[in-house]
Amino acid sequence: MSGFDTRAAAALADPLLKTAVERTAGTAEAKRTLAVSAFPDFDAARTRAAAIKDHVIAHLGHYLEQFEANAIAAGAQVHWAATADEACRIVIDLCKASGAKTVARSKSMLGEEIGLPHALAEAGIGRIETDLAEHIIQLADERPSHIIWPAMHKTREQVSALFKAKHRTPHEEDSIAAMAESARRELRDRMLGADVGISGANFLIADSGAVCTVTNEGNAELSLVPPRVHIVTAGIEKIVPSMPHAVHMLRMLARSATGAALTQYTTFYTGPKRPSDPDGPEEMHIVLVDNGRTKMREEGLADMLRCIRCGACMNHCVVFRQIGGHAYGGTYPGPMGAVLTPALDGLAPNRDLVHACTLNGKCQEVCPVRIPLPTLLRGWREKSWREGLEPTSMRMGLGLWAWVARRPALYRLVTRLALRAMRLMGRRGWIETLPLAGGWTRHRAMPRPAASSFMAQYRKERRP
Amino acid sequence: MTQQVALFVTCLVDLMRPRIGFAAIRALEAAGCDVIVPQGQTCCGQPALNSGDHAHAAALAKQTIEALEPYAAIVVPSGSCAGTIRCHYPEIFEGDADWLPRAQAVAAKTYEVMAYLDEVLGWKPESISIDATATYHDSCSGLRELGIKAQPRRLLKAIDGLRLAPLAGEETCCGFGGTFCVKYPAISNAIVGEKADAIDATGADLLLAGDLGCLMNMAGKLHRDGSTVRAFHAIELIAGMGDGPAIGEEP
Amino acid sequence: MSARDAILGRLKGIAPDAAQAAALLVAPERPAVDEAALEAEFLARLALPSVSASHDAIDSMADLPAAIRRYLDAQGEDRTLCLPPDPRLAYCDWSGFTLHDVAAPAEVAALAIARRGIAETGSLVFETGPAAPMLPNFLALHHIVLLATRDIAPYLEDAPLPGAQPRAHYWITGVSGTTDIEGTYVQGAHGPRFLHVILLRA
Repeated sequence: MSGFDTRAAAALADPLLKTAVERTAGTAEAKRTLAVSAFPDFDAARTRAAAIKDHVIAHLGHYLEQFEANAIAAGAQVHWAATADEACRIVIDLCKASGAKTVARSKSMLGEEIGLPHALAEAGIGRIETDLAEHIIQLADERPSHIIWPAMHKTREQVSALFKAKHRTPHEEDSIAAMAESARRELRDRMLGADVGISGANFLIADSGAVCTVTNEGNAELSLVPPRVHIVTAGIEKIVPSMPHAVHMLRMLARSATGAALTQYTTFYTGPKRPSDPDGPEEMHIVLVDNGRTKMREEGLADMLRCIRCGACMNHCVVFRQIGGHAYGGTYPGPMGAVLTPALDGLAPNRDLVHACTLNGKCQEVCPVRIPLPTLLRGWREKSWREGLEPTSMRMGLGLWAWVARRPALYRLVTRLALRAMRLMGRRGWIETLPLAGGWTRHRAMPRPAASSFMAQYRKERRP
Repeated sequence: MTQQVALFVTCLVDLMRPRIGFAAIRALEAAGCDVIVPQGQTCCGQPALNSGDHAHAAALAKQTIEALEPYAAIVVPSGSCAGTIRCHYPEIFEGDADWLPRAQAVAAKTYEVMAYLDEVLGWKPESISIDATATYHDSCSGLRELGIKAQPRRLLKAIDGLRLAPLAGEETCCGFGGTFCVKYPAISNAIVGEKADAIDATGADLLLAGDLGCLMNMAGKLHRDGSTVRAFHAIELIAGMGDGPAIGEEP
Repeated sequence: MSARDAILGRLKGIAPDAAQAAALLVAPERPAVDEAALEAEFLARLALPSVSASHDAIDSMADLPAAIRRYLDAQGEDRTLCLPPDPRLAYCDWSGFTLHDVAAPAEVAALAIARRGIAETGSLVFETGPAAPMLPNFLALHHIVLLATRDIAPYLEDAPLPGAQPRAHYWITGVSGTTDIEGTYVQGAHGPRFLHVILLRA
């Protein structure tokens, strides 16, 4: 069994996981449906959102330089990182230069992608995760299983037990509100005492140099205002030309992610605190991270760079809903993860991800930026085939079948024999076990085929 | 005037349930078509296409195009095979000056059978009756690649005595996914298990859909679970063949 | 070669036409807002469960302390208030209040003056500046916001103010909330649990 198969089997065997995923993803799906139906012409809005991102990706170099110039003019310092390691090194060096002992981190998938939590630990820098879900993940010493709800895989009962074991003054009443309150007590003084605040970026505004973050908890602002230094790590594809472009994307993001019209807190940071400001950081650093994005743009995955990390594709994915996010094994799970992970971590170890999909197209239907995820997955499958990564049995089987199927007369003969053999395996209409098709008959019966094929019957009954 | 149409039977219908092909012929003839079954056809190449085997997908697509291009219209009793021809053949031959125009021409005149009957011919079944409650599953490729949703329901509504019970999650994939169901059997089983529960919860006598692959998956699961729901391709009812054996029944 | 040069070197291309970027913004799809009834539209959004803000209205700045007193009394809170160093507030009579201008970690109530209100979403728009600290608005349990009705604008596109951008331009659209545990929405995650808007109708 592959790593993916092992993880998927473990996930399927865990009834709590199914409950937990269903509770959150099911709610998200229902709320998104309502929000989309209440919005005037969401499909046209998706087309516009895709066009905005396509425009940016086509002129990415130009917009990045414009963003950089404006951010510097506002007093921020801009750093560039070609790889994940480079990005981590820049962040660690900045933390060390400011003598930081602890950092407060506001949830950022890019931070997860580049391995920042691990890099901070190696550098001996304390990390306070301030997003409630990331806090749960940190306490449990796990990895996020969803890009919007990193702790989606945990039930309330599991979170309750975790908080009771780890919080200084845990909740007594077993309600979700009481658990959130427990986390508020646990985190507030620690986040106010952090030396550096680290965030990602939902959008980078080219014409002002502003960095936009969105949260529902207000944890980004509480993590980023008090410390002396604010560090942003952002993928280079996060650019939009201007604030009104960001507004359109924000409308799409909130509705697609949670079904809300907007997140509770939407903040645009432009440079560090001004001399007369009563609060805010003295320094603002923005690390622009490539980590494979320019390569994706060059190698047929430009469509994927439109992704705004809303999570709608995974919430609506039948496979994700069964196995959750950890089974995917990468930073990004679900359909978008199945496309991204091979680009970030290589195709060979992630071959399963591009196949473990029914190509039903629901993800593409809900994607706010119209990413053709099934098409991109087919593209990966083709590459996998071309590069000889597919198992020999599959290559031989498909090759043999195609060879026969290209010879209609032989095909009729071979299938007639196969049908006869199959009919011997079944009784009263059904085949309960079928050699070479255990994957099918282990879980479901196979209808017993008719005595002769359509083509044979048709030829007998009438001449074309 | 008689409209000549070519029937692309699909490999699954050819081998596993020929009566779907005969139902398609019967309905098309009732609608005034002259149906031809081109003999050079086998499989559209979808399994190769979805496995990443571009060379074999292209070879089978060429064979299929050659078999079908002489005809004015091509009708297919499967949303996913019709979708392969309509949506993916032109993608397969992108940049191929010889084959792209031929692929596009065939794509433009290929229809899923129920969409053809309803949208192109504006036909409705007449004096067909069955006393049953049915529930309908929207197979994904037909739904999302071809926009098949209202057409089968309009046709089914014209059948006397047939009641339609809505299926919760009718647009949710059944977990078939072609080779997916045998490559990842446990995940597929979990998905189809939920689908089977949803079908049973409708209280319907019949399960209908427009794709035999999905139907075999759902019917096989329902049978294994001991359900009494009987599964048909919707075209069988529409053609007045709903009184025959359901999938997995033998006369 | 620096990372900057390496990245930008791979992204070389023609500069975009500004008109092309602007064309992407023509007639954006967005929720309908009745521009003749902005206050009513704004208040309707404010009352949505996802925003969950309460509101009151006053006719002049002189009525502000009484409105805040009303709110705090109704909430059963002390008349203690974190007040920004905004000169417009200096003319109010704050007798009976305990005032301070630096928020405590467990601040109970803070007042802020919104620069704009957005009818589309019920958002309150703030900007940092010498008279407008940011932290109190996130620390307080009760966030009390003064908004002049003439500053209510229809759409989010109207939120940015002209001129140089402040350190932070931010929109608050409801109380701090989370759905991180089983997707269940609870209020008062890390920030304010209560949001109270006082409309100034002068």
